[in-house]
Amino acid sequence: MNRRNFIKNMGCGAMGSTTLLSSLTSLGALNGLTTFNKNAPGEDYKAIVCILFSGGIDSFNMLMPTGTTVNGDNGFSEYLALRTDLAVAQTPASFLALNNPQCSSFRGQTCAYTAFGVHPQMGGVRDLFNAGKLSFTSNIGTLIEPILTPNEYRNSLKKIPLGIYSHSDQIMQWQTSVPQSRDALGVGGRMADLLNANNANNGISMNISLAGKNIFQRGQSVSEYSISDNVDPNNVGLQSFPSWWGNQGLLQEMRTNAIDSLVGQTYSNLLQKTYSATAKESMASFELFKEALKRVPTITTPFPNTSLASDLAAITKVMSVRQQLGTKRQIFFVNYGGWDMHDGLLGGLNSKLPVVSQAMKAFYDSTVELGISENVTTFTISDFARTLTSNGNGSDHAWGGNNMIMGGAVNGGRIFGAYPKMDLSNLNSRNISYRGNFIPTVSTDEMYAELALWYGVSPSDLCYVLPNLGNFYSYSANNYPIGFMNFNQSPISTVNHPLDCLTY
Amino acid sequence: MKNNLLLATLLLCFQTSIAQSTKVFGKGNIKGVTVNASSNASNGIKTLMSTGYMPNPKASSRFLSQATLGPKLSEIQGIQNQGIESWLDSQFAMNPSFNLQNYVQNMHQSMVDSLYLKNPTGNYTLSNVFIDDWAFDVAWFQANMVSSDRLRWRVSLALSEIFVTSRISAFDNNPYALASYYDMLNKNAFGNYRSLIDSVTYHPAMAVYLTYLNNHATDTLGTKRVFPDENYAREIMQLFSIGLFEINNNGTEKKDINGKSIPTYDNDDIGNLAKVFTGLSWSHSRYLGDNNNVNDWSYTKRLKFFPVDSSEKYTRWWANPTTWRIVNGHEPGSKTFLNQTIPARPLADGELDIRDALDIIFNHPNVGPFIAKRLIQHLVSSNPSPEFIDRVAAIFNNNGAGARGDLRAVVRAILLDPEARDCCAEKENTAYGHLREPFLRYMNLINGMGLTNQSGIYRNVMVDLYDRIEQKPLYSPSVFNFYQPGYVPGGPLQAAGKVGPEFQMLNSLSFSNYMNALHKWIISNDPVEYWSIFSGEFYKSDQEPRFDITADYILAKDNRIKEFLDKYNLILAQGRIKSENMSIIQNVLLSMPITFDVNGVPDPTLADRRLRMGIFLIMIAPDYLINK
Repeated sequence: MNRRNFIKNMGCGAMGSTTLLSSLTSLGALNGLTTFNKNAPGEDYKAIVCILFSGGIDSFNMLMPTGTTVNGDNGFSEYLALRTDLAVAQTPASFLALNNPQCSSFRGQTCAYTAFGVHPQMGGVRDLFNAGKLSFTSNIGTLIEPILTPNEYRNSLKKIPLGIYSHSDQIMQWQTSVPQSRDALGVGGRMADLLNANNANNGISMNISLAGKNIFQRGQSVSEYSISDNVDPNNVGLQSFPSWWGNQGLLQEMRTNAIDSLVGQTYSNLLQKTYSATAKESMASFELFKEALKRVPTITTPFPNTSLASDLAAITKVMSVRQQLGTKRQIFFVNYGGWDMHDGLLGGLNSKLPVVSQAMKAFYDSTVELGISENVTTFTISDFARTLTSNGNGSDHAWGGNNMIMGGAVNGGRIFGAYPKMDLSNLNSRNISYRGNFIPTVSTDEMYAELALWYGVSPSDLCYVLPNLGNFYSYSANNYPIGFMNFNQSPISTVNHPLDCLTY
Repeated sequence: MKNNLLLATLLLCFQTSIAQSTKVFGKGNIKGVTVNASSNASNGIKTLMSTGYMPNPKASSRFLSQATLGPKLSEIQGIQNQGIESWLDSQFAMNPSFNLQNYVQNMHQSMVDSLYLKNPTGNYTLSNVFIDDWAFDVAWFQANMVSSDRLRWRVSLALSEIFVTSRISAFDNNPYALASYYDMLNKNAFGNYRSLIDSVTYHPAMAVYLTYLNNHATDTLGTKRVFPDENYAREIMQLFSIGLFEINNNGTEKKDINGKSIPTYDNDDIGNLAKVFTGLSWSHSRYLGDNNNVNDWSYTKRLKFFPVDSSEKYTRWWANPTTWRIVNGHEPGSKTFLNQTIPARPLADGELDIRDALDIIFNHPNVGPFIAKRLIQHLVSSNPSPEFIDRVAAIFNNNGAGARGDLRAVVRAILLDPEARDCCAEKENTAYGHLREPFLRYMNLINGMGLTNQSGIYRNVMVDLYDRIEQKPLYSPSVFNFYQPGYVPGGPLQAAGKVGPEFQMLNSLSFSNYMNALHKWIISNDPVEYWSIFSGEFYKSDQEPRFDITADYILAKDNRIKEFLDKYNLILAQGRIKSENMSIIQNVLLSMPITFDVNGVPDPTLADRRLRMGIFLIMIAPDYLINK
């Protein structure tokens, strides 16, 4: 940007300016003078993107074993025999093959197979995997402490998450990673509590949601700022008065001031307090966000016309004005729902998995375009996996399943954790039901710990982000919880924050 | 002792003694209050509340804000003379006055007739002319514009958010399914809970939504590995009746010796109950699994039970009958859940399993406090005291005449409870009241502004409304409703250990969307969305009315603007907007230009703008948004 544009932008920002707004404008301009949208070498920016598949995705129909070696890796046959009418294909060749996924073992559980493929509609995900930009974690789920045998589960020798198999509990626990509590803050919120101070400007929350209120982004001191996927400065905040009313500007200012005053009053009723706090924060954010969005550059990566892709495209746009927003750390939250497929499973997956795959691929490509692919890590969560056996035309609620982690800093092209055996006999130390429900091998804590270490949470602060982590992992140099992140460009943070460990 | 304290508090906040000579009572008028039990502490409250108590305007408005979808000025005035109890009696005495399904079908028929008139050779029938789901919304809105059984519609809206089915499903464009289900809720709103869960269970809209339609017995013969669908078994217990954990009659959770919550059921209970809900299909089905000839009306007829799966007789009719695979449709054998066992019985009698299972659920001690709490949260307050829940649950358990599950008695108990009626409950409980849910705000406005037209026919598709506020009847994103009853928003409520269910819908985006929706409804005066029901239909502008506030223009004068704001504070906000906020709003209005004609009458255009700005700001004030 040259000096003339700089001044023009200043002028633009000065319209209806407030103190906060002016500081934002100058900040954006200062940071953005030479490196407007592209990542400057060494720019300290990191974003985490959480994609929630609400409803409980049947992730054993997303990532499948493909081996057909009798007395060897015979994964596909075992898959077919268990899933019967829910099998995505009758031949393993129909799945999209993953190159040498190196599925090994985790906490004493060995990976049951060596050959894997993804759902035929997930070409984008296959490409990302084979290009080393995406990995899976297998048999991951909500745990308070490791549960090594079905006996430990059946006889409650180990702590069991509250309300397993219940949507409302499990979807919450995937976001809090505190399965023994129904009052916990979210993982993203707790990370933001620690790292929010790194951001030069807190006028807009570092936690931005495309899915409204959610538990994941709720911290002690940070709550989410919700936006729509229509990222357009004219679509933020209050609508203008009709032009024929005259004195539009004055009226608008009066109205805004009045709303500010109404929500800024002191209320003794807690519901009124809660409402006015949200309203006040929102009112303060609208102008800042609107001004920042005026600087969104043209992004050429094509995004499909789906709700998930639109949400992810909106995130790309917001990240493109990270400097105008004065932020070095952001956490995004997206929900793509409709996975509770008790019925119509195969058709449902056929229509939804391509949406996932295409949107994720486009999003990754757009971060490459912005030059921040190594600064952005995306991962998927869901309520639970689903029963391996059929209920006629669908599957029911289960527990451990498979998820994805994507980004330039991911050790891609691998299946971490341990993919369980498609076997319901007593020989399978993961299975706890005639329907095919697996005890998770990897805990959500371990996934989040790996992400948090990469994101800049210091090892000693991990106990604030993940109160149960000590049951699974303790930090030592070069010993990572799961291994899916590449720490070459992200040294472990030594900056500790004065927040006490949380206990529930 | 507790009752004594409560009574004392009650008396204090009425600022009066029980002496009959006192004229002011709860800031209202009294007509013939009879106090005959004040010496009996346990009944004293009830006596005070129930006999002869005439509410003042604010109390009337407040009651109506809980008992209807939004007070009208005429109703506020009416109830001041009629009294709350008598109003309730008259409401309970009314039968459901409006049949949504009939209205949808009449609309549908008029589409067919109109198309026929335009093109007599077109062979138009109800079956080949498409009618979209918004016909249900038109019917729903029409019903609420013309029906006088206002309490029923308030309760049925609450029920629709507890026994959730939604058009975000396989019947997304079928207004008959929605109308039939809602009619069923209306019919059962003041009936018995046991009948309600029977009707819900046998309604195709629920069976499709929670996927137990054509649900099949366990089948593991040969290579088959098919088990009953667990969806409904889980949600009927978690969401419609008993919840996840054992609770006391006052709604608090029971604890085991280690202080842990006690789950009401485990996955084995679910697996067994799933076996109960097998064998149900469409009323017209020839066999279990038959999805042929399903049409809009299939969703309006009670499900049919099939003990045996004889599908191959129909799907392989050409084959030798000895090769047909005839298997169980309904699961045979006994089923144990919630520590009770439904006995094994002949398969042909399998439908009795469903009856028995619903009986077991119905008689679980959790149901009373569970349903009491949910209804209280919808009608009155997000955080009722355990005592409030206990009193209402007791009525659920026994309506006084020995009947369990009497919803009429439950609704009455909720609305007449001291904690609902007492003017000062909020002083003791800083989390009293609830955030008005977005759709209620809209209906508050429609009722409060007295929207009306000449013909008495309204066509409001509420499509743009849903896009803006993300809520209207039977449009929940999941069976967990638009918001969950246990939702805890961050901040002061969380710190106090209180819930704020409706806050799950509040965020920076929904906040600005709401303000912009208000802008459209009030400032742009466009509260109703009219769509043609067939192409080339003559536009009936009368069916798309606007808010008429011309009668209030005279109040736009500087010296009367307070009167105007007081009026709408009363109607829309039950007079709860505090004086500081009223001043803020008043100052905005006073700073807007106004001119007068020679007779001192305000300029209509300028008056209109002042008043609309006032209503807009009232509906943004936190003391409007929280109804307490």
